[in-house]
Amino acid sequence: MIQKKVCMVGVFGVGKTCLVQQFVHSIFSAKYHSTVGVKIDRKVVSLDGTEATLLLWDLAGRDGVEDVAVSYLRGSHAILYVVDGTRKETLDQIFELRELARGAIGEVPSAVALNKSDLTSEWVLGPSDEKAFSDLGWHAVRTSAKTGDGVEQAFSWLARAAIDAGEKPS
Amino acid sequence: MSAFDDRSPPTDYLGLGGSYDPASEEFAELRELLLGKERRQLEELQRRLDTLGLSPEELAEHLPEAIALRAGRDQKLAKALAPTVENALSESVRRNPKQIATAIFPVLGPAIRKAIAEALAGLVGSINQAVENSLSLRGIRWRIEGWRTGVPYAQIVLRHALIYRVEQVFLIHAETGLLLGHAAPADLKAADGDLISGMLTAIQDFVADSFHERESGGLRSFSVGELTVIVEQGPQAVIAAVVRGQPPATLLPRLQDTLENIHLQLVNAFAEFSGDASRFAPAHPLLEECLETVLSTDRGRLPRVRSAWMRWAIPTAVVGLLLVFLAWRSHRTWSTAMARLQAEPGIELLETSRGGGRWMVRGLRDPLSADPARVLASINADPARLEARWEPYLSLEPSLVVERTRRWLAAPATVSLLFRRDSVIAGGTAPLAWVGGVLLRATLPPGVAAIDLSRVDAELPPRLAALRNDTEQRLVLFDPGSATLSSVSRGMLAGVAGSFRPLAREAEEMGYRVSLQLIGRTDSTGTDAVNQALSLERVEAARTALISIGMAPAELDGIGIGTSRPLAPREGADQSRINRSVAFVVRLNPLGGRLARKP
Repeated sequence: MIQKKVCMVGVFGVGKTCLVQQFVHSIFSAKYHSTVGVKIDRKVVSLDGTEATLLLWDLAGRDGVEDVAVSYLRGSHAILYVVDGTRKETLDQIFELRELARGAIGEVPSAVALNKSDLTSEWVLGPSDEKAFSDLGWHAVRTSAKTGDGVEQAFSWLARAAIDAGEKPS
Repeated sequence: MSAFDDRSPPTDYLGLGGSYDPASEEFAELRELLLGKERRQLEELQRRLDTLGLSPEELAEHLPEAIALRAGRDQKLAKALAPTVENALSESVRRNPKQIATAIFPVLGPAIRKAIAEALAGLVGSINQAVENSLSLRGIRWRIEGWRTGVPYAQIVLRHALIYRVEQVFLIHAETGLLLGHAAPADLKAADGDLISGMLTAIQDFVADSFHERESGGLRSFSVGELTVIVEQGPQAVIAAVVRGQPPATLLPRLQDTLENIHLQLVNAFAEFSGDASRFAPAHPLLEECLETVLSTDRGRLPRVRSAWMRWAIPTAVVGLLLVFLAWRSHRTWSTAMARLQAEPGIELLETSRGGGRWMVRGLRDPLSADPARVLASINADPARLEARWEPYLSLEPSLVVERTRRWLAAPATVSLLFRRDSVIAGGTAPLAWVGGVLLRATLPPGVAAIDLSRVDAELPPRLAALRNDTEQRLVLFDPGSATLSSVSRGMLAGVAGSFRPLAREAEEMGYRVSLQLIGRTDSTGTDAVNQALSLERVEAARTALISIGMAPAELDGIGIGTSRPLAPREGADQSRINRSVAFVVRLNPLGGRLARKP
């Protein structure tokens, strides 16, 4: 079975962990975030009848971007960025994080989860913001940890993109 | 293509103008003259360039040397060749299994036997261990622990008997932390190996980042309770072994070796890795080789030494006790035999020793003493064991003195001998001739001061006995109140003398002095005083008459007893008549009577 390492990145409070909690198999507790700074979960996705395993490295996001441990990004086949759709500043921080990741591991398939989509009244992102992602080649998905909307889709896209990237002649 | 190729388009190199025929002899000759040497050199160079890659001939020339050279340098050649050789072997086995089986049979046979023997020994060891544990205090404690915690007894035993167990081995892609291979025993459920390997990588990174030790290879090992995780870093992959118990020092080099092997064999798989772990399947057997369980029954000198000691203790004790018993019995037989010999009259032991099943004895032995072999046989000791050196001597043990005296005297069986103080006292009956002969001897046996024969009843030979009988049967009769011998009485006295004389003469030759006692009697009429005097007168008359016919007075003695002790009446004669008489008693006295050593 194909395995891929996927890192999930986002600053504190964007709801990364909550977002994937119900979709993944986990044996480690949340306290790993505060100790080791990363928690690893497994997500099996089905692609055209075959299955692929994503090893999801949930990187602890604390206050600042510089808190993210770059070495955990090493070897990632794909990155899932998480943005709080109700807080504009988390969007800006994503670009900082992207620079950090590019510096560390280069360009990899990336998706961005625009989280908390259920809070429509507080939503601050406009179509221009989402277009900025597609310009980067990122796959942007509105997600909700509460309803689970968009999460499976984000994983499937990442898995496909990671596999396609791996099959490209290096 | 050479510039001098024959097929090159015609060119007027020499400026000769007009046409020329390159095939013409003249041209060829001219070319050979001008450029022949250079041309041949160029052809040689051309040939070399064409065969710049090694020709099979050249490779064959250098291959053995190259292999030897490389094999001497390191193990890489062997490791690189291993998969090919394995493939070739498996292909060969597939095509013709019999040939391979025949070839390896001499190797395989002993190996299989050894493996079976070891497995059996291990099984016996396990049974021993289980029995030992279930019966021991420890076993009971473990049972209580099992009952208390709800863990099966077998697992408790395993946990306590375990020295170490390599429970899991992970092969982890260094860069991504993805699991490439995982080996665990069938009985150990190990899901989530991918999560663990990811987290292990994360922790590695975490430690390396935290302590800024990325260059040195990061975390090498860590322990949690009974578990130790040993991590070995490679350029492409990390190998991690989870060990329960005390990991041995040999484990790390083994992991390093395995990791190197995997790198060497799967170099392409690493280069092309993009998340597909199935390409690392060939690494699985190598990982499984690292799994092992070592119990205290397998290892650990102390328990084994103790159990080996225990195993030998009982037979050793039995043999030891047997030896002690045999030694004790042998010693007892020996000492009994020696005591018995020492107690034997006429045997004196001076030195005794034993060894090699032989009894060495030096001592004194009287020739008359009992045969030592018979003495030993009488107490069921083997006489053949005795090696004796006897010095002859004369014993003064009473029994031997008596025996010696008996032999010396040639005493008949009717004579009894007794040793008292320093003398032998003889009793019983013996022929007069023997007694007389003894009394005539001048010497005594050694150790005997005197022999007393006075109590021996000497028996006369029949002829002499008849003479004595004849003498003692005779009565010299007297008339009432008279002491005068009648002619009949004188005739009777002549008969007495006639019988007595040969008797006395022959008895004297045998060492005896013979005397004749005359006993005078009266009838019961008259007073005792008269009768007493009369009886004496009758004795005197008979004595005088006997002397007158030639008998020596010393041979005769007589007493008158009157009417005391009268003779009983005889057939055809009344008591009064036969008591008016003189009767005769023959007395035999040994000339010595008591044989004594002369001072």
